[in-house]
Amino acid sequence: MDGDAFKTPAPAAPGGVKGIDREPFELFLIHEGRLLDERRFEEWMELFTEDGHYWVPSTPDQESPYQTASLFFDDRQLMKTRVDRLRHPRIHIQTPPSRTMHMISNVVVDDIGGAATEYRISSSVLMGEYRLDVQRFFAGRQYHTLIKHGDSFRIKLKRVNLINCDSAFEAMALPI
Amino acid sequence: MFDGTPDMLARLIEPGRVHRSVYTDPDIFELEMERIFGRTWIFVGHDSQIPNEGDYITTDIGRHPVILIRHRDGEPRVLLNRCAHRGPKVCMEERGNAKSLVCLYHGWAYDTDGSLIDVTMPEGTAKNFDKSGFGLKKVARIGRYRGFIFASLADEGPSFDEFLGPMKANIDDLVDRAPDGEILLDAGQHRYFFRGNWKLQVENVLDSYHVPFSHASTVNRKGEQFSRREGDDTGAKVIDEAKEKKKGDATSDAWKGRRSYVVDYGHGWTSNTQLNDKGRTSPAFDAYVKSLSDAVGAERAKEILTPEFHNSLLYPNTSIMGLNIHIRVIRPVAVDLTEVTIYPVRLKGAPDEMNYGNIRLLNVTHSAASFVQTDDLESFRRTQQGLASEKSEWVDISRGLGEEQADNHYNADMESAMHEMAIRAQYKAWLRYMSEEAA
Repeated sequence: MDGDAFKTPAPAAPGGVKGIDREPFELFLIHEGRLLDERRFEEWMELFTEDGHYWVPSTPDQESPYQTASLFFDDRQLMKTRVDRLRHPRIHIQTPPSRTMHMISNVVVDDIGGAATEYRISSSVLMGEYRLDVQRFFAGRQYHTLIKHGDSFRIKLKRVNLINCDSAFEAMALPI
Repeated sequence: MFDGTPDMLARLIEPGRVHRSVYTDPDIFELEMERIFGRTWIFVGHDSQIPNEGDYITTDIGRHPVILIRHRDGEPRVLLNRCAHRGPKVCMEERGNAKSLVCLYHGWAYDTDGSLIDVTMPEGTAKNFDKSGFGLKKVARIGRYRGFIFASLADEGPSFDEFLGPMKANIDDLVDRAPDGEILLDAGQHRYFFRGNWKLQVENVLDSYHVPFSHASTVNRKGEQFSRREGDDTGAKVIDEAKEKKKGDATSDAWKGRRSYVVDYGHGWTSNTQLNDKGRTSPAFDAYVKSLSDAVGAERAKEILTPEFHNSLLYPNTSIMGLNIHIRVIRPVAVDLTEVTIYPVRLKGAPDEMNYGNIRLLNVTHSAASFVQTDDLESFRRTQQGLASEKSEWVDISRGLGEEQADNHYNADMESAMHEMAIRAQYKAWLRYMSEEAA
């Protein structure tokens, strides 16, 4: 993917693209969050296209995952290493495992690509995580580039802009 | 009760063990802030973070907030980030550029060398008010080496040269990798914290013994870690499962061959990780080798690209990582709370793709969400919890005790990196710092 593909898109109009049914997108994003909450990591990974990326920048308005450090910047190969590790019996940071809850709302269709097969969707995300007596929340806005795939979608890019992306974090094991 | 006298301190550190209170006692932490972080040389930043006049970053020396700023004369200044009037922090941004530093509260304005240039409503100042006595307090001493800027809060003490000593070679080992002979710490940072004592992370930097067990979740079925360098198709062989079946020890021979070295002041390093240097290739890496060879000659480039060091520690709190190149700064916040900042390194003059590769791989190993660092952070947290018990008083660091050897090449003490000599050396330095009475 070239540099521009990673930029946070501005909505085309207030409320996004007019006259499009948000429901299929909303249900897809809810499904994606649910796969993570249910620790169905392999199925989550399969939602991404072969050239898909999962990105959580470490600075607000970060323009590039290449020039600046990121919390996460996984292609499919790294995603697989991450998921394999999440299944490893000796992953100490998930012993015991976290419990998480994804809440997705304020879904907007920001833009539709030329041939109406690529959609840019933004949504608010709140992930609660509980582990070993500590509960914490990750809040932000996420930007999905979705590709039409049969009667569903595949994720070409998922970018999560955490409101506290440049703060110091306690160790994180799970994708937002 | 702990009283801070040299006798009392000496009872906390024995040849192969450390008393638990060294990690848990708030009074000991206070004394560390005064006698270690209040006196020795602490990394505050790098030239590349403040390239222009007026550029600044904010950081801390121990618990003292400071501003590193470049003055008009081109020289960096390290100033206490505290208004000389009523005390607010003057700079809140992590970085910025300023012609002058203005306090938000009453508008006192300071020059970039810290001197007070303007008091609002000057007609109200006391008759004998002397502006020259009200600058932002300058940190006593600054030391610089190849772009690294250190500062000491103490007026007197060992010089920066004396402190750094042979560790210059460890800085050179990293900086020389840049075709232009300079590194840049301008690619953002990773920041994380853990609920544990700062020394747990410091010890871990030169502790190779934990790797085969603690980081087992990062190796594949062949016992190899994922690739951690641009141009490698696999990582280091850490575990040998076939051997485990025979002898009950899975650690690979390559890993066991690693050495650790210590010199004065608690500094030390581990030898390189055995990787396939001959087979290392990728378009980005090959272009980088060419740019380095063009700059320094093929022979010197070959030397530079033969790694010597894995991790280096500049005690008390700075580490230089030679594999996933970065600078790590460990900041004590409280006796049981520590913040760590990791700066990716860009090699000036290297092709962009090579630097991109380094930045990317560092996300994988050392972001707050990385594959390696997260298990270490879990270890630190559990250690702090375990050490809360007063029923078991000692922490054992005796592996290899008495097996240290003199190494003539580096003029250092050497031992297997699977031992704990480096940690013992840290506590020797710790005790020396802590036993020095008020300067």
